[in-house]
Amino acid sequence: MKLYCLSGHPTLPCNVLKFKSTTIMLDCGLDTTAALYFLPLPLVHSPRLSKLPGWVSKDGAVNLEKELKECSGRVFVDSQPEFCLPEKELLDLSTIDVILISNYHCMMALPYITEHTGFTGTVYATEPTLQIGRLLMEELVTFMERVPKAQAATCWKNKEIQRLLPGPLKDAVDVWSWRKCYSVQEVNSALSKVQLVGYSQKELFGAVQVTPLSSGYSLGSSNWIIQSHYEKVSYVSGSSLLTTHPQPMEQSSLKNSDVLILTGLTQIPTANPDGMLGEFCSNLAMTIRAGGNVLVPCYSSGVIYDLLECLYQFMDSANLGSTPFYFISPVANSSLEFSQIFAEWLCQNKQSKVYLPEPPFPHAELIQTNKLKHYPSIHGDFSSEFRQPCVVFTGHPSLRFGDVVHFMELWGKSSLNTIIFTEPDFSYLDALAPYQPLAMKCVYCPIDTRLNFHQVSKLLKDIQPLHVVCPEPYTQPPPAQPHRSDLMLELQPPPMAYRRCSVLGLPFRRRYERIHLLPELARSLVPSEIKAGVSVATVSAVLQSKDNKHVLQPVPKPAPVPPSKKRKRVTEEPPEVLNPKPLLSGAVPLEPFLAMLHKNGITEVKVEETADGHILHLQTEDVLIQLEEDATHIICDNNEPLRKPGSELLRG
Amino acid sequence: MDSDCLSLLPAVCLVLADPKQSPPDDTSLEKLLDWFKELHSQSDGQVLLQHQPCLLEFISSVCMSKTTDPAILSFTLKLTGLLAATTQELHLFDEGGLLVYVFEREAWGVCDLWEDASVRSGWLQGLLNMLKHQQALGFMCGNGLIKVILQLQNDRSLFVACLANQLLVHILNFLTSSNMTNGSDVVGSSESSLRPDWVAASSEIMNAVVEALSSEDHPQVLQGLRLLSLVLSKCGEPIISTLWKDVLVPLEVLVNRGSESLIQTLITVLEAALGTPLLSQSEYKVEELLEAMLGDGNRKECFHCAALIVKLEKCPEVLKRKATDIILLPLQCVSTQPQAEKEINVVLKEQLSQKASCISLLMQSLSSLAQLAHTKYLFEDISIHSITSSVLLLLRMCSGHCPTSLLHSNAFTHLIGCCKVQRCGLDTLGALSVYEEILDLRKDIFGVLLDYLQSPDSHATVLKKTFQAVKRWIVCSPFPDLLQFISHDLFPVLEKRMCDLRWEVRDSTLEFITQLTTALNGNSGFTEALHISGMVSVLLSSLADAEGYVRASAVAAVGEAVTASSHQMVLVSNSKLLDEALVQMMAILSQDTEGFPRRAVVQAFTSWLKGSHLITALELSLSSVLSLGGSDFDWEVKMHTLELAEVLMEKTLTCCPYAVQNFGSSEETRFTQALIKFKNFGLFDLLFNSLFDCDRPVCEKACALLVKLRTLTAETADLDNSLLVLNVCGNRWGDEVQRRYLNKQQAKASVSVTNGVTGSDEGTDCGLHSTKDISLPKILQILDLDDMQRMLTLSSDHVVNSPRSLMEDILSAAQHSEENIVDCY
Repeated sequence: MKLYCLSGHPTLPCNVLKFKSTTIMLDCGLDTTAALYFLPLPLVHSPRLSKLPGWVSKDGAVNLEKELKECSGRVFVDSQPEFCLPEKELLDLSTIDVILISNYHCMMALPYITEHTGFTGTVYATEPTLQIGRLLMEELVTFMERVPKAQAATCWKNKEIQRLLPGPLKDAVDVWSWRKCYSVQEVNSALSKVQLVGYSQKELFGAVQVTPLSSGYSLGSSNWIIQSHYEKVSYVSGSSLLTTHPQPMEQSSLKNSDVLILTGLTQIPTANPDGMLGEFCSNLAMTIRAGGNVLVPCYSSGVIYDLLECLYQFMDSANLGSTPFYFISPVANSSLEFSQIFAEWLCQNKQSKVYLPEPPFPHAELIQTNKLKHYPSIHGDFSSEFRQPCVVFTGHPSLRFGDVVHFMELWGKSSLNTIIFTEPDFSYLDALAPYQPLAMKCVYCPIDTRLNFHQVSKLLKDIQPLHVVCPEPYTQPPPAQPHRSDLMLELQPPPMAYRRCSVLGLPFRRRYERIHLLPELARSLVPSEIKAGVSVATVSAVLQSKDNKHVLQPVPKPAPVPPSKKRKRVTEEPPEVLNPKPLLSGAVPLEPFLAMLHKNGITEVKVEETADGHILHLQTEDVLIQLEEDATHIICDNNEPLRKPGSELLRG
Repeated sequence: MDSDCLSLLPAVCLVLADPKQSPPDDTSLEKLLDWFKELHSQSDGQVLLQHQPCLLEFISSVCMSKTTDPAILSFTLKLTGLLAATTQELHLFDEGGLLVYVFEREAWGVCDLWEDASVRSGWLQGLLNMLKHQQALGFMCGNGLIKVILQLQNDRSLFVACLANQLLVHILNFLTSSNMTNGSDVVGSSESSLRPDWVAASSEIMNAVVEALSSEDHPQVLQGLRLLSLVLSKCGEPIISTLWKDVLVPLEVLVNRGSESLIQTLITVLEAALGTPLLSQSEYKVEELLEAMLGDGNRKECFHCAALIVKLEKCPEVLKRKATDIILLPLQCVSTQPQAEKEINVVLKEQLSQKASCISLLMQSLSSLAQLAHTKYLFEDISIHSITSSVLLLLRMCSGHCPTSLLHSNAFTHLIGCCKVQRCGLDTLGALSVYEEILDLRKDIFGVLLDYLQSPDSHATVLKKTFQAVKRWIVCSPFPDLLQFISHDLFPVLEKRMCDLRWEVRDSTLEFITQLTTALNGNSGFTEALHISGMVSVLLSSLADAEGYVRASAVAAVGEAVTASSHQMVLVSNSKLLDEALVQMMAILSQDTEGFPRRAVVQAFTSWLKGSHLITALELSLSSVLSLGGSDFDWEVKMHTLELAEVLMEKTLTCCPYAVQNFGSSEETRFTQALIKFKNFGLFDLLFNSLFDCDRPVCEKACALLVKLRTLTAETADLDNSLLVLNVCGNRWGDEVQRRYLNKQQAKASVSVTNGVTGSDEGTDCGLHSTKDISLPKILQILDLDDMQRMLTLSSDHVVNSPRSLMEDILSAAQHSEENIVDCY
């Protein structure tokens, strides 16, 4: 069993598991942090951005004026932002049988995998994952296509040139594998391959059974169990134990796993979501009270639901009830509405509201009372209804594309305004780099509800997997806090760490396989009891293996021979019932075996202990006997007279 | 009233002795005993038993009855003891041999009743009640009761055991007190002067203590130690030294054994010993024992012991130093860099590696340090500088900052986010502010405190402690950059905390601002910073908080902020702020649905008025505050309004800031003018309305204020009454005054008629016939304020709570139960 790691990003995983002749891709995350190297795509013409000087090397030898622009001491690529895809060269993607998706954030690279690679398999995901994932993909495509760029910059990627560029562009890795965003057609085609599954529903293909379990992180998010009759692999992706809107995490089914692949832990282990939420609210209130606006760059689904719910209660208590909230995204309306209809995927508290009947999320009420307004973009109705001071939720959190770019240009100059970062995916300093100098206040309150190290070590103590596989960063303290040994996984045995392009052989011994006996063969068995309750029978059959299923079939009868009386008589005789010959099975107990050798005149035996068993050296005879748990070898240099008695003794 | 009760006594005794009646509840019986106690103390030599023979009958019938209830028997035992507390009464009891009968449990009708803990407790309490004279002691010794008491000392009921200990101490004390010794011997005399049977009694008790301490039975040892500490703290010489000599050996054994469960009790014993003359005599080894308890700091329990020793008030210096060194070990060990590491013992290391013991050790260490700081203890071997640095480092570790090299990484992981240690550490840091030597660490200290204030993960209770510590450090000694720190570092954090999601945090932030403003009152720079930074307007917006408690704290903070600026130029430019504050506060007083903010508004006005600076803008609102506050639904708002009225009266009558100051005008005129001012403020309406309020404390307060006014008016001879006429129509108090006025008139008229005098000349002085308007002095006369005050001082349940009603209750309950029985047939 092997694990191919196509992404090194701990929270945007893409791994391939080869298990029992099936090839399963676990998640398909797209690392969008590469976009931070690019200039923002302004929705409205920005004189500031258009006037940025091009980059020329100091000696004038390299001139990339058209591709690279300088902005407050940093160099950005002036082209449509690109993303870093999962590794495509490590294995043939067309061999993938199935892709399991855990949550909508971890499927953004799907079109790159399913299209143009010869992929013919199926994608499994829950309904909310599919629908919200579709929204996020469509939003991404819209953000890009709204602001088309004439040409793509590629010269800078030339190794010789990149070497000469200033940091951090100089240090960007795998730049040739970066790709532009996909198209709507590709999204549609990729998503048409998705087959919907529900929690605890079992899907069988080949000999492997896969089961999605609620992971508590987002609407429809799941962990997966992949198991055969005798092996169990658990795949834990973004999971949460906090009581937010999704159904709580199902933990007990993860018990007794042979291997647990652990990804998607919190990206900011030192930030407690509750504290951050408090920080978010107090900074928001402070800004509004002082007459400023608040900009919240966020994804259009996920934490935003919790933020709106929290603000719904907070704004009245902080006496800010009249401040309008704007949610601007091409998919804002669908996101708000979808959240209300996936009742069965919500936590119990919200589910029960549906029976009252009431909308599960309070943002419905905010919309009704006109406190929350949503628009597809800043163009159109929004510009006429826009009122300040206000709170704007909009994407993209990288600040490189989407409506947020406009608000950065609009509000960045006033120190009354505040930008509050709540998404943990991007470094806020890097995100803000092309907007410097910035007067606007910046607050970083990353809200990451995924498991933290404390929770995960408790979880692992409960479910006790035999082996844990995880991304490399989880096996050491964060680089910025090398003493925080509490912020890493400390397990016994130590977890197996992977990085991008690792291929791990999972420590799995396939010990047993289930084999079916055909009824006619079973009927022919003659069991004889060797001790009370245990009977054995010899069987002669043909083993047929197909699609991971093994069947013992009767030995095909020899071609019919013309019947003769004599033969017929013979076949009609009842078969002779013989006691089975002693068969070799199990390990050879050392002490009795030595005693036996002694009894048979072999006295000079040197015993040596090995990792798997023992080596016996019969010195006079110059014979080696290797005793292992599942094999015994007698090495006697073709000394046939000695070998036979030896094996007889073993049978002893 | 007592004679009334005494007449009911025989009937009550019959009911109580009647086994068919279910006994009254314990409280009634206790109240009855209280009444007897009071009666006894007032009897002045009159013997209750002689006048009330029913009591003796009651006692003997209860003891003889075969169906007595344990509660009644217990009551009877206590009562007997009470009644036998004088020699005369004891003789009365003794005449019939009743006393022996009562306290001899084998003689009771039902012996099994001894099994009931309440009976055993009653028995002990009875003896304790009786032990007021020599004969009582003689009775106990003569009848072998000491032995029973000693047995009860190990009773399974803790109450009984404790009472037995008390009784034993009382006996020992009694043996040595002056009235017990023969002849003229005084306290301190040797045992030889005692009667031989009493010597035997005292040695019996002391032997029992020695025996208990040498016992293998843990509870028995504990009881022995408890008795010993009681003896040490309650008895005098020679008992103490005699007993100590005997117990010293077993005590040493116990101390050296170092059993954890005995530490607390052992320390109590030694603490008691410290307070006695034993300490000064080395052969008694008190100090030695305490030192042995500490050991070398390498036993698990030595930290607990050290923490207790640090707390001792009278503790020898050497010992305290040793205990201090030990108790600081965990703190130093966790927060010391390896190179400075002393050899740290294995026990401590092990304790620190486990979460629960690590936290409790550090908390003991920190709280002992705080304790020492309270007394400004002088550390010797270790500098206060390094101790403070350790506390700072510990606090940093609690919030996840790890020092570059660490001794106990295990301890570090236990500490991250541990609220208990954080709170304790912050308390200690605050307490350390008394040491001037560490003022140079102030930058680090404020750095840590600011980190705590800023951290999004700080728990509400931790923030509160942080605020307290910040305040202590700011107040302890103002430093040059104080204002810079406050306006640049502190205020922005406070502003954010005032928008916190948790109301507790908003509340404690506002409280902190109030305290800071009060503490820095007079610091013009601070006041200026408060206004310039916009803090005041932030405070004003908190007046509209959703949580009542927060609004109340905001009112207090705004109140302080406004007063602070009263003598500043700042106020002139910010008069708008004051106006806005007044408008909002009046809105709270008139409209807020919760009591706390309304109370706070009235209190703010009171403190404004108390302040030394005159704020004219406030004067305009005063009458509204008095009328709104006086008619509030909440009695506490009314009380606060009366306090406001009191301050107004005091201020006006002493310096008259509100009266028109006519130079040269007489004292009387000024007083009249003040009264007119009061009238215009509506003060009299408030006082009279409150006098007839439904809440007793309100009436009491109003009455007291009116009495004060009455005294003043009476002292002022030429008061111009015509200027102080009040309208008594159309309100409740007016009606009451009119009713009393008419009653008095009628009474006078009838007196005049009987005397044959016409009352025509009576009303000439101030228009008595007109009942619509009455002058203030007259009203104060008409109202019988003294009588009202007397009635008001009695508690509201004084009628229901009387012994008479208690007895009636007992009787009627018995009657009812009889009726019920009849009903059954």
